[in-house]
Amino acid sequence: MLWLQVFVNGLAVGGLYACIAVGFSLVWGVLSVINILHGSLIVLGGYLAFFAHQQWGINPLLFAPVAGAVLFVLGAGVQGLVINHVMARPFLITLLLTFGLNLFLDNSMLALFSADYRKVLLDPPLGVFDLGAIVVPADRIYATVIGLILIGLLALLLRTTQLGRAIIAVRMDRDAAALLGIDVRRTYAIAFGLGAFMAGCAGALLSVIFPISPVASAGYLGKAFVICVLGGLGSIPGAVLGGFALGIIESFGALFLGPEHAMTLAFLLLILLLAVRPSGLLGKRGFA
Amino acid sequence: MKLGIRPLLAGLVLAAAGSTSSFAQDKLLIGAPLPVTGALSPEGTKLKQGYELWQDQVNAAGGIKVGDQQLKVELRYYDYQSATPRAIQLAEKLITDDKVNFLFSPFGSGATKATSAVAEKYGVPMIASSASSVEVFDQGYKNLFGVYTDNSTFSEPIAELVKTKLPDAKRVAILARNDLYPLSLANEFEKSAKKRGLEVVFFEKYAIGTLDHASALTQLRATNPDWIIVTGYINDLITVRKQAADLRISGSVFTLINGPAYQEWIDAVGPLAENVTTASWFHPVVKYQSDDVFGSSAKFVELFKQKYGSEPDFTQASGAAVGVVLQLAIERAGSTDHDKVRTELQKGGFKTFFGPISFAPSGIANSYVPPVLQIQNGKVEVVVPQEIATSEFRTAPQN
Repeated sequence: MLWLQVFVNGLAVGGLYACIAVGFSLVWGVLSVINILHGSLIVLGGYLAFFAHQQWGINPLLFAPVAGAVLFVLGAGVQGLVINHVMARPFLITLLLTFGLNLFLDNSMLALFSADYRKVLLDPPLGVFDLGAIVVPADRIYATVIGLILIGLLALLLRTTQLGRAIIAVRMDRDAAALLGIDVRRTYAIAFGLGAFMAGCAGALLSVIFPISPVASAGYLGKAFVICVLGGLGSIPGAVLGGFALGIIESFGALFLGPEHAMTLAFLLLILLLAVRPSGLLGKRGFA
Repeated sequence: MKLGIRPLLAGLVLAAAGSTSSFAQDKLLIGAPLPVTGALSPEGTKLKQGYELWQDQVNAAGGIKVGDQQLKVELRYYDYQSATPRAIQLAEKLITDDKVNFLFSPFGSGATKATSAVAEKYGVPMIASSASSVEVFDQGYKNLFGVYTDNSTFSEPIAELVKTKLPDAKRVAILARNDLYPLSLANEFEKSAKKRGLEVVFFEKYAIGTLDHASALTQLRATNPDWIIVTGYINDLITVRKQAADLRISGSVFTLINGPAYQEWIDAVGPLAENVTTASWFHPVVKYQSDDVFGSSAKFVELFKQKYGSEPDFTQASGAAVGVVLQLAIERAGSTDHDKVRTELQKGGFKTFFGPISFAPSGIANSYVPPVLQIQNGKVEVVVPQEIATSEFRTAPQN
């Protein structure tokens, strides 16, 4: 029964990990930008949800798409006005730029919201699903389900709409896409905006589970990075699979090696995977 | 008239020397490396509030009395970004470049221990605001003085409370952040529990930066403990408290340190804060009369509320405490000379708003009993020591 509970714990946190990683994976895959700003955008989404709950009593789980929409505008703006200028430059320049933007946003949030840890307290709390020998926190299940629905909608948008086809075309070959009349700079801005949208949604969903603070951004970024490498760069199903895989591996890692080494097992498997299958579980060659 | 370059230079040198000496005479410069950004920024902000309240009071009263002089206090801050190696560099810079007279420590046991080597190297007395692990003070240094008592002063009274109020409690589970102070504290709790015949059925560590504690808590639950102790910092303990409730973990006593003494922790966990026990080195209900610039604990609390609009917690209070200890030592020495001030610090016997402060030969405070606290009806109540208790200890399960 202990094993079953540990497995369910892994699944429950894995769904949240997937939400954290999808936007990061999209930006990496389409723009070839390692978006160091991603963790800060998740935290900003958390603050938006926190204040919406505090001011108007809106449940953050329902507020997630609104937080995402606000961040979409911010993300598209940042890409259009700032990052687009250096897209043709070497990869390290965009990395450095998003690192700088990350410092700027983190410290702005520190100045505006203070460093105190906050948390959304739902009244009444959502409680737990009691399945006899195992228990599952309801908020994690709801957050995972809503997150997966939003990820599904994003995947649908990429597959079925003209905008989505344009994003995929730019991802495959920027120059050929431009020759076909696709506005590459605009597509970049929208793709980055969609990544920020997912970050905003993830932040709002996480605000009922984890404490919110500007200093939490690095932790989220680290998770997103590992999940994307594990699942496969640029692949949305890969990010989902990577999220669940990391959740379950960490959970069993804590059981077998002790909580102190929960991440050790995850990183060992990651190294093994990189040696055997460098493109990740569901990644396609060429996005690395 | 022909003016040679030499007289001019000599004049400049004299003028510079004159200005330096007057500069040195009318103010006291104290260096304070602070974690303003990074993971420890909440604590860094709190320490700074404590320092500045003390500075305001001293300077409003004319400054620190050194013989027949009054020295205004100037604090020089540098942000070490919650990175200990940076704190070490900045402490060195404060001593060698900024020529500070004295140092306040960075936050926490780990950074304090690392920085104390720099203070020792240059012979500059450093007052530590927030170090309580014996491992910080076992290096034989003569320039390190900490206002916190050691970690066993938390574990002993709480273990005694559990033993006397819950004679049936037998099984103890400990989950510790793998970090200098939280781990040292957890080890003290293990010792205190074993000393009283309790069985430690679970002792695990979690890594710094752990986001999710479900797996560790699932294993903890399986050991069916009566008394659960988790050490870490405020973000860890918010998540741990919530996940313990999610997993329906119920012990008769839930001890979490450090976090529940902060109002932010209580706000973040809401009703789950009820009956959680904790301890801290200061609480606004303590009633000390003092010889320092505040006059009493109550006056300190009142002034803090006036300036910041909230009651001070122990970190904010410790920021002001290092100031008053240094001030009392300098005033008693009648000098800012390092050797003289160090001698006064070693003598101890300072009556401060924080408590009576004297230091063991190792430099750690050993002169007061920190209060044991419990959250009751959303408020922090003191349950031990009896003289200042505001409520009775409660043992009801919390989930």
